[in-house]
Order: sequence, then structure tokens, then C-alpha cells
Amino acid sequence: MRAPFTLDGFRRGARDGVPLAVSIFAYGLGFGLVAAQAGFGVGKAVATSAAIYSGSAQLAAVNLLQTGQATAWALFATILVINARYLLFGATLQPWLWSAGPLKAYGSLLLLGDANWLMTMRAIRTGEEDRAYLAGTGAPIAVGWLSGTALGAAAVSVLPAPQALGFDLMLPCFAAGMVTAMIKTRVDLLPVVVGAAAALAIFHLLGPAPAIIGAGLAGGAVAALVWREPS
Amino acid sequence: MTESFPMLLAVMAAAAFLCRMAGFTLMRFVPVSPRVEAALRATPLAVMAGITALAVQAGGLAEGLALASVVGLTLVLRSDVAAALLGVVVVAGLRWMGL
Repeated sequence: MRAPFTLDGFRRGARDGVPLAVSIFAYGLGFGLVAAQAGFGVGKAVATSAAIYSGSAQLAAVNLLQTGQATAWALFATILVINARYLLFGATLQPWLWSAGPLKAYGSLLLLGDANWLMTMRAIRTGEEDRAYLAGTGAPIAVGWLSGTALGAAAVSVLPAPQALGFDLMLPCFAAGMVTAMIKTRVDLLPVVVGAAAALAIFHLLGPAPAIIGAGLAGGAVAALVWREPS
Repeated sequence: MTESFPMLLAVMAAAAFLCRMAGFTLMRFVPVSPRVEAALRATPLAVMAGITALAVQAGGLAEGLALASVVGLTLVLRSDVAAALLGVVVVAGLRWMGL
């Protein structure tokens, strides 16, 4: 039995993804701006956004390319480290997404990002059955990311800085809101506390890229440890 | 730098693609017991708490107040999306006031 994968579910996801797409658009402007300053034209900037499709990894790659010392291996390793959290995102989606069949599952993963992973995990918790939801949330975000990149790279000097409008805080705001809404029982508080503490500790020891994946692993591990057979 | 840009871009795209696909693929071989399911359910909570904690630490008073207001507004409005959007307005306003 294949799980549902319908246009309805895709639409539901797309609707939920729109508020996030606005912030991703602003983030795209920021990346386009940085890329233009590094000597990328619009075409090169948009190609980068489409091929890597991850803001933090792209910013690190552009920084590395700017030094003139970038080798293919250094770039490959940089992106693996920064995007290692996607290993965790994919793993957490697997039991739900796989039942849509391999083609739809792997196709949907192409549109996987931080924001729509959070959105989809929230929807799964509240009983979303339609596996097209993930691709749906990804669609407006992809449009925002690519159009933001193009505009940022093309019109650098006339745009206000995204920070002035608060858009840089959009993902943390969504994270804070969703985590608040998702805490239903006292058991849910444990991964929240462990995740926050692990992120801060790992950030001080190793930097921002391992901090997020470390938070997820620590929270998951603690939840597995304290799990008890319901009696 | 000796390699051409399209070649470097292909290498970077391959790394990003690998990260998107590998965790999902490996998980296919892990039997999902109730204990594993509890870990999978807790992971997004921990990641979101981590993102929020890092933002509070990196930011100043304006960012801290905005994120605290998101938590409060989510409980009052019962809509995390509305609360998040209002949080962005709060931080923009506080920054505009020079905080």
C-alpha cells in the first residue's frame, strides 16, 4: 500500500511554506549580494543557488573561493561538514516519506531545506498523511531562494539590508514558535533543554556547523534513553 | 585555482546532494522500534531549541526579546506562524529604536 501523494497535499504544503518563502527570499537577496561582491554575475549566482541549494553552505563556499586557494576537495569537504545536518533531516523523514515510493521520496528530498524540514516534521506530528506535503512546502521556498539570489546579485546597491527588516531572525523566530507549539507533555521538554544546551556547548567547542547536528543527536539520544514501554 | 567554475560547482552540488540523500537511505536499514521512533520525534524539538539558543547567544537584547515574545505570543495566539511573523516585526522595531 502506497501512502497518499496528491495535489491536495502539495497545495497544503505550499500554503504553509509561503511565510517561510518570504524570509528565504530575503536570505537569497543576502546571498546574491555577497556573490556579486565576490565577482559572481547573476547567472553564476543563480546556478550556485540551484546546484547547492543551501544558504550557509553557499556562503562558506563563496568565502573559500574568494581566497583563491579553493581546491575541489576543500569545497567538497566544506559542504559536507556544513550540510551534515541534512543526514539527520533525511533520517528523521524516512519512515514517513518512504511509503510514498522511492521516486517520489527521493524527488521530494531534492527540495529539502532547514525551514521546510521543520514545517514538515511539525505537520507529521499533527497527523499529516499526504507525502506530497514536503515537496509542497519546498516549492515556494525554492522560488523565493532563486528569485532572491537573482535580484540580490543584479541590484546590489539599491536594496536595503535584510537585517534592517529583521528577516535574518525569521528562521529562529519560526523555530521558537514551533517548538513552543509542539511541547505537549513534560516528556517533550527534555529534548528541548538538552538540544539548547548541546547547541551552546558544541558551538563554543567546535563552531556553528556541528552545533545544530549535535543538538539533534543529543536530543534524539536522550529521548531514546528515557523511553519506557507504555504500561 | 586551476579548476574551472562549472567543475567546482559540480563537486559542490555532489556534496550537497550526498547529504540530502545519504541519511534517508541509511535509515531504510534501521528497524524503527518505538524507542527509535521516540528519538526521531524528539530530534526536531532539539534542533529547534538549538537554533533558538544559538540565535539568542549570537544576538543582543533585541534578538532575545523578540524570541521571548515569539514564545509568549505562540501561547497566547495559539498560532506559531503568526507569532513568528510578529517576532520579526518586534526585532525590526527594536533595531530601528537602536536597541
